Amino acid sequence: MLTEFGRVFIFLILGVVFVAGGLVFSWLIRPNRPYPSKLTTYECGEEPIGDTRVRFNIRFYVVALIFLIFDVEVVFLFPWATVFKGLGWFAFFEMMVFLVILFVGYAYVWRKGDLDWDRPTPKVPKYERGIGVREDHLMEEEVAL
Amino acid sequence: MPEQLLGDITKFLPEITLTVMFLVAICADLMFRKSPQIVAGITLTGLILSGAFVLNQSGMNESIFGNMIAVDPFAVFFKVIILMSAIFVIVFSLSSVELQTASRRLGEYYSLLGGLALGMMLMAGASNLLMMYLAIELSSVSSYILAGFTKEAPDSSEASLKYVIYGGLSSGLMLYGISIIYGLTGSLDIYEINHVLAQGSVSGSALAIAGILTLVGFGYKISAVPFHFWTPDVYEGSPITITAFLSVASKAGGFAVMIRFFKGVFIDPSATHLPEGMWASLSGFEWYHVVAAISVVTMTLGNLVALWQDNMKRLLAYSSIAHAGYMLMGVVVLSNEGLAAILVYFMVYLFMNLGAFYIVMVIANKTGSEDVEDYKGIGKRAPFLGVALTVFLISLTGLPPTAGFIGKLYLFAALLNSGWIWLAIVGALNSVISLYYYAKVLRNMYLRSEASEKKTEMIDIPRVQVATVLVLLVPVIALGLYFTPLVEMAQASVKMFGSP
Amino acid sequence: MPVTLDYYLLLSAVLFTIGVVGVLTRRNAIVVFMCIELMLNSVNLTLVAFSAYLGDITGQVLVFFVMAVAAAEAAVGLAIVISLFRNKQTVNIDKINILKW
Repeated sequence: MLTEFGRVFIFLILGVVFVAGGLVFSWLIRPNRPYPSKLTTYECGEEPIGDTRVRFNIRFYVVALIFLIFDVEVVFLFPWATVFKGLGWFAFFEMMVFLVILFVGYAYVWRKGDLDWDRPTPKVPKYERGIGVREDHLMEEEVAL
Repeated sequence: MPEQLLGDITKFLPEITLTVMFLVAICADLMFRKSPQIVAGITLTGLILSGAFVLNQSGMNESIFGNMIAVDPFAVFFKVIILMSAIFVIVFSLSSVELQTASRRLGEYYSLLGGLALGMMLMAGASNLLMMYLAIELSSVSSYILAGFTKEAPDSSEASLKYVIYGGLSSGLMLYGISIIYGLTGSLDIYEINHVLAQGSVSGSALAIAGILTLVGFGYKISAVPFHFWTPDVYEGSPITITAFLSVASKAGGFAVMIRFFKGVFIDPSATHLPEGMWASLSGFEWYHVVAAISVVTMTLGNLVALWQDNMKRLLAYSSIAHAGYMLMGVVVLSNEGLAAILVYFMVYLFMNLGAFYIVMVIANKTGSEDVEDYKGIGKRAPFLGVALTVFLISLTGLPPTAGFIGKLYLFAALLNSGWIWLAIVGALNSVISLYYYAKVLRNMYLRSEASEKKTEMIDIPRVQVATVLVLLVPVIALGLYFTPLVEMAQASVKMFGSP
Repeated sequence: MPVTLDYYLLLSAVLFTIGVVGVLTRRNAIVVFMCIELMLNSVNLTLVAFSAYLGDITGQVLVFFVMAVAAAEAAVGLAIVISLFRNKQTVNIDKINILKW
């Protein structure tokens, strides 16, 4: 009979075969007719500009951090929910205390304005005679955030 | 079970008070954004109220929440130290000029100070490895934020980042140690672990590795030497008030949790063959060799590196590392006498170290500098501050007639009585080294005069600040002359729940 | 050949070592935080393995708390990295060096 590791091994082999087989099979049967617009990254016509590693706006991080905290705190609700029936009202009030404390934290974040997605007023590039568009104005704003 | 828990809640009132205070404080911060003094008032009230509940616990010796937290004289003593230093630090903060750069966020500052104090109080009582970890993390996370509080200053967020990275590393190592201990003994409760270890079926080498890994977490909290790298940077980069708080209360919490861990886990409860007040360690992990080595390295390195510091905060940071080394000598002994010596030392250290930091802050408020060079002529420009700082530094060195001498005296007596003579000699030599760098500051204050004529005007300080210095100064001198009550209180406070 | 406790412990020891080495050698603050998370998660693996082996629930309780605390610590750490980045425009630890000895 198979050992436990044997099953895992078969699972791994099946996974590799499934993915590689699909790729190889489609490579074998597909027609190969390259022309310039087909070779671009996005065939729909969107031109890729610049580096793929752009810096995301800092607001994404703030929202992600807040989500991270409140998301993980939910972990305590699961064990509580499984044993809730046996413990009754006392456990209910205990969990309510926990949730109230969490809620105060949420209210704090909300009131402090960290959930607001304030759009910066877009800076219109300034034309200066003889110099043209000063792009560094835009750059500065990006850095300041 | 609920009835039992409800009964335990009444013995948990100091911590509950601080939690409620924290919630009220952050709500008040939202409502009165313009005046952080209100939040400071709420935090101060909460701390004092909590202190009243703590004093009410004196004499209690029991364990609550299924052995999660011990309420015993030992915990009460440390809670008093932590609350006292928290109250002092809030009073300091009210007159700090440095903090005014972030006046918009000061409400958060005061509420987080309360949270930090809560974490440390839990450290003082924790008697379960889970609770110890949670308490250490609660105080760590609050202090990461507070260390970087003046985030506009370039060195503050740097200090904070270093603090987080070292903190994360050491808490990871400590948790790994805890997980091994759990695997070996099947429990996180220190009394049960002790019970399992006493049966002697646990592998000694694995236990030693686990013990050392766990020690990393405690060593980080008290800034003992191989784990001290964050200390000077954080102490220099943080606001002075936070530096003062971390140097006293954070160490107090760290020592409390470490002593309870070693005594609870590794001491043989049934040993009777040793002299009065001493305990035999269970075979398997000879922790006191490790602690003795750490103690020697800590005080020597702290004192030697302090010799060439030119920033006052950094100098006091290394001096506080050295003091952690002195107090570790008491942990090596771990007899009743050694523990009482640590408690006496802590009470004395609270006053002298907070006092020194406060004067550094008051001078920095006026001159805007923390450089030892800029202390030239301070003795003439601010005679009162000069004299007070002199007393605090003499006390930190450990010379009579100040309280620092009493602290050292009891530590060395405990060492000599239990035969650690070489350790006592190393400690005494270190005190001599420390005299040199403290004296450097004194020499700058009195014997060197400022070259430029501009900086000779008198520094006048507000009455309130003079009063605060006096409140710290009087105990340093008084305890040096009349120390019997303190010593008796410390000797009564070494009793821990579940220990002989 | 059943999967015994040893395999779990070995795997988590390897993960833990990778985490520690990462914290000590990597120079990017974000990667350092990821390594710290790796350390904590390897500890979680040890705890769960021991908990299953001993038939005792305490270890899993500790895992829940470790997860929550690790999230809080990571959030605070990343917030500090952001505030540092606003000052210095870098997350490279070697360039964060005002404070020395």
